[in-house]
Amino acid sequence: MRVFVFLARRLIFAIILMLGVSAAIFFLINAIGNPIELMMAETPGMTGEVIERMKGYYGLDQPPLTRYLLWLGRLLHLDFGTSIVYNQPVGSLIATWGWQTLKIQLPAILIALAIAILFGVTAARRQHSRSDFTVMGTALLGQSLPAFFLGILLIFVFSYTLDWLPSYGAYSTRNPLWGSPTLDALWHMILPVAMLTFFNTATLTLLMRSNMVDVLKSDFIAAMRASGIPERRVIYVHALRAAFIPMLTYLGLLIGLMLGTAPVTESVFTWPGLGSLYVAAIHQLDYPVIMGASAVIAFMLICTTLLTDVIYVLIDPRISLE
Amino acid sequence: MTDQTIASHVSAPKPAAKPARGIWRQGWQRFARSRTGMLGLVLVLIVVATAVIGPFVAPFDAQDQSPMLDPGAKAPPSWTNPLGTDRMGYDVLSRVIYGAPTALAVGLGAMSIAAAIGILVGGVAGYRGGTTDEVLMRFTDFFLVIPMFVVILAVVRLLGVAVVDTPFESVPYLNLGVIILLIGVFSWAPIARMTRAEFLRLKNQEFVEAARCIGATSGDILFRHILPNALPSLIVIIALGIGGAVLAEAMIGFLGFGDPAAVSWGQLLYFNYQALKVAPWASLSPGLAIFVTVLGFNLLADGLTDAFNPRAKN
Amino acid sequence: MAGLAAETQAAAAAPRPPEATASPAPVLVSVENLRIQFPPWNAPVRVVEDVSYQVRTGETMGIVGESGSGKTLSSLAILNLLPPPARIAGGRILFEGEDLAAKSQAQMQKLRGRRLAMIFQNPGYSLNPLLTVGAQLAEILKVHEKLPRSAALQRVEELFRLVGITDPGSRLSQYPHEMSGGMKQRVCIARALLCHPALVLADEPTTALDVTIQAQILDLLEELKQRLGMSMIFVTHDMGVVARIADRITVMYAGQVCETGDKQAIFARPSHPYTQALLASTPRIDKSYAVDAQGRRERLPTVGLAATPGQSLGGGCRFAGRCPEAVPECTRLVPQAAAIEPGRSVHCLKRGSAGVPGHG
Repeated sequence: MRVFVFLARRLIFAIILMLGVSAAIFFLINAIGNPIELMMAETPGMTGEVIERMKGYYGLDQPPLTRYLLWLGRLLHLDFGTSIVYNQPVGSLIATWGWQTLKIQLPAILIALAIAILFGVTAARRQHSRSDFTVMGTALLGQSLPAFFLGILLIFVFSYTLDWLPSYGAYSTRNPLWGSPTLDALWHMILPVAMLTFFNTATLTLLMRSNMVDVLKSDFIAAMRASGIPERRVIYVHALRAAFIPMLTYLGLLIGLMLGTAPVTESVFTWPGLGSLYVAAIHQLDYPVIMGASAVIAFMLICTTLLTDVIYVLIDPRISLE
Repeated sequence: MTDQTIASHVSAPKPAAKPARGIWRQGWQRFARSRTGMLGLVLVLIVVATAVIGPFVAPFDAQDQSPMLDPGAKAPPSWTNPLGTDRMGYDVLSRVIYGAPTALAVGLGAMSIAAAIGILVGGVAGYRGGTTDEVLMRFTDFFLVIPMFVVILAVVRLLGVAVVDTPFESVPYLNLGVIILLIGVFSWAPIARMTRAEFLRLKNQEFVEAARCIGATSGDILFRHILPNALPSLIVIIALGIGGAVLAEAMIGFLGFGDPAAVSWGQLLYFNYQALKVAPWASLSPGLAIFVTVLGFNLLADGLTDAFNPRAKN
Repeated sequence: MAGLAAETQAAAAAPRPPEATASPAPVLVSVENLRIQFPPWNAPVRVVEDVSYQVRTGETMGIVGESGSGKTLSSLAILNLLPPPARIAGGRILFEGEDLAAKSQAQMQKLRGRRLAMIFQNPGYSLNPLLTVGAQLAEILKVHEKLPRSAALQRVEELFRLVGITDPGSRLSQYPHEMSGGMKQRVCIARALLCHPALVLADEPTTALDVTIQAQILDLLEELKQRLGMSMIFVTHDMGVVARIADRITVMYAGQVCETGDKQAIFARPSHPYTQALLASTPRIDKSYAVDAQGRRERLPTVGLAATPGQSLGGGCRFAGRCPEAVPECTRLVPQAAAIEPGRSVHCLKRGSAGVPGHG
């Protein structure tokens, strides 16, 4: 029962946040000017009459508040409107392009997590040793290496110098690798996934290490060892579980933000994902896509924050439900 | 007035100044022992020196495209152009040097804004408590979930169109200013949370109560007693934030939304990335500059943690 | 299970605590010249130096010393669980005829929790906060006795009853944070006794508890020790606690043994200057303290000046810097054990110990 009350409260707060964030984005964009007018300002030879007709067509002749409420109302039916540039429903655009984003982001997070656990635990168990120092140093460097610059380096080395891997796109336009579209898609994923993995791994490893160092110092680990629980179980089941809990917040943030950082990471590889869609929409002032995509990106972050809270309650018995 | 009173007057401030200096001096001693921190300080000083002296010693002017004629565009490094020339015939070294003041302006400018808002909001929330705290912290949560990057891109682009044919168009570096402002406005939330936590911790400590007992005003307590003690933790998060702001501006520039009038590393990458295969020096040099700057501030923050909050690390 | 029954029988058959005259019980643990060091290894910090003592079956050895005297480290060394980078640099730990110091971690793992068990100082920290107490205790039985979960939980419940946990059945599914400090320490004691170990190491098990709970836990330990016939090494800084629970006492100072002997003898006739000073500084309920003309109560004596850190781990007798009886040799020569009574030895040049040129 208490769990449901807790969940309901969190859900309500998340919905309020969602409304607030979408309104903020909406009015911030509209405060600058009417999107159609701005769009047409860059298109020579547009008469006032055409502009008015366009406004009417896209429902942009209403005052901003009415438009926001209309947009919100359609959103409830999962209707994001129609893209001005692509002339397709924004919802299906986001779904297709978003899938490409998840395809590289999720594997990158999972691989990074596995690496972080491996290196973080190893470094923590040999604190102040040479291997600890190496792991820490690499992670500190990795934290400061901008993902997009890393991507450029990877392309320079593996595509241009060694000519092993493709430098752009999600698939070959002609002649897929070994005639298999699946292998071809995987082949194209290697560099973007490598870039995102490295980027994610740095902070995750540092967190894992410092949490693990704290946990390994705690009495209950000593007590488990003193009770004859095998070392492997102590480290990889009990200590890992305890050290993992504080990482959830960051992991949730990483998943929540993966769409938010996609514009940069995807533009390095000209990857046809949500980020590229968004950047293109901004360049072309494709207003419904800008609104829809930014709402989805914010929604993702709010949802993962909510999910993180729920998971905390499920796995950490110490958290009381208010 | 006798000589004695003057003498005592002169020496009086000394003992008073000492305890205030203690925490900083001790911090510096610990900082000096932190290898990462010192490396960070050196890197940051290199960037600062480049920003300050660089423009006077750069071989070419920021907007000088004359190398286009002599070695030509995308020429490899040579004696006249130590880092080669780029796609548009600029001298890469000079452009990278001119990027340093821009990067620092973004980092320091954005973080000044973020720190001002963050300390104000967090400080009031932490000091007042109650409903004020609740409302302000919900407001802060709200700023934490706005996808800053996505919003900044949209605003910068739309603003770029909106100002055409308005008096704003002639404002120098308007775009850069807006980018700095927006990065600042979207980065204060973590600072506010940290400030609030520090103020909550400090406001009930005995020295603050003692100050209240001797009748210090709220402002006095806040600015003379609590804030100075919260500063060490805040400095760490602000140093990290400077690196983050430099990186954010680089990403905006890399996507082509930077200020066309300013020389920025991200924008250099944007202009030259397409020619990575032919003229890698033109892309790798500004990329490396971003890396060194961000690394410098991150390491500096690491050293500052060692200096002021040694228990935060193991 | 069979082994456990035999064990309990054997303990019951053995005559309980050896008064000096009766034929003494067999020696269970013998710590011989134990030395524990910290890096740098080219000039190691010798935190425990040449420590020797023996614990007999069914006997409780109280190890007394101030913090930093190496009493906790020397008991962790018995489990071969020194926190890195500390290392056993010399000596033997004979337990049931085998040298524990020479065993591998894998071999030790099979002994820990089964033949040797430990009770930690702070019950709040020594239980896994993420598991129910039932689950974490059952896991130990699963490891050592391959018991299925239900049988293991049943055994845990029995032990909960034994250590006086009320409503043991429903406690099994509680998390540590749902229990009081005293209750948690009972759980920790139950954990130590799960496989009926021959030796229990208790490291200040009452220090983190309220005074009333302390008394309850001490009563419980005393009662359990008698019922189960196990040996115990009880580490504490509190003379009052050892007076209650120990049969024999080893007094340690800065990593060296000062003296060892029966509790009665040490309390009645403390020999080493440090023990004398320690006892003199302990307030006693059976002694009246004088009040002077101004109404000020007589002050308790204190143990001399604190030594400088460098001196305290240097050569010779480490107490020399604070010792009222010290002679110049004391800072140079390490005093060896000298028997002064049956079952009693002291390490002091002024009490007849031989001196060996000290470790720098």
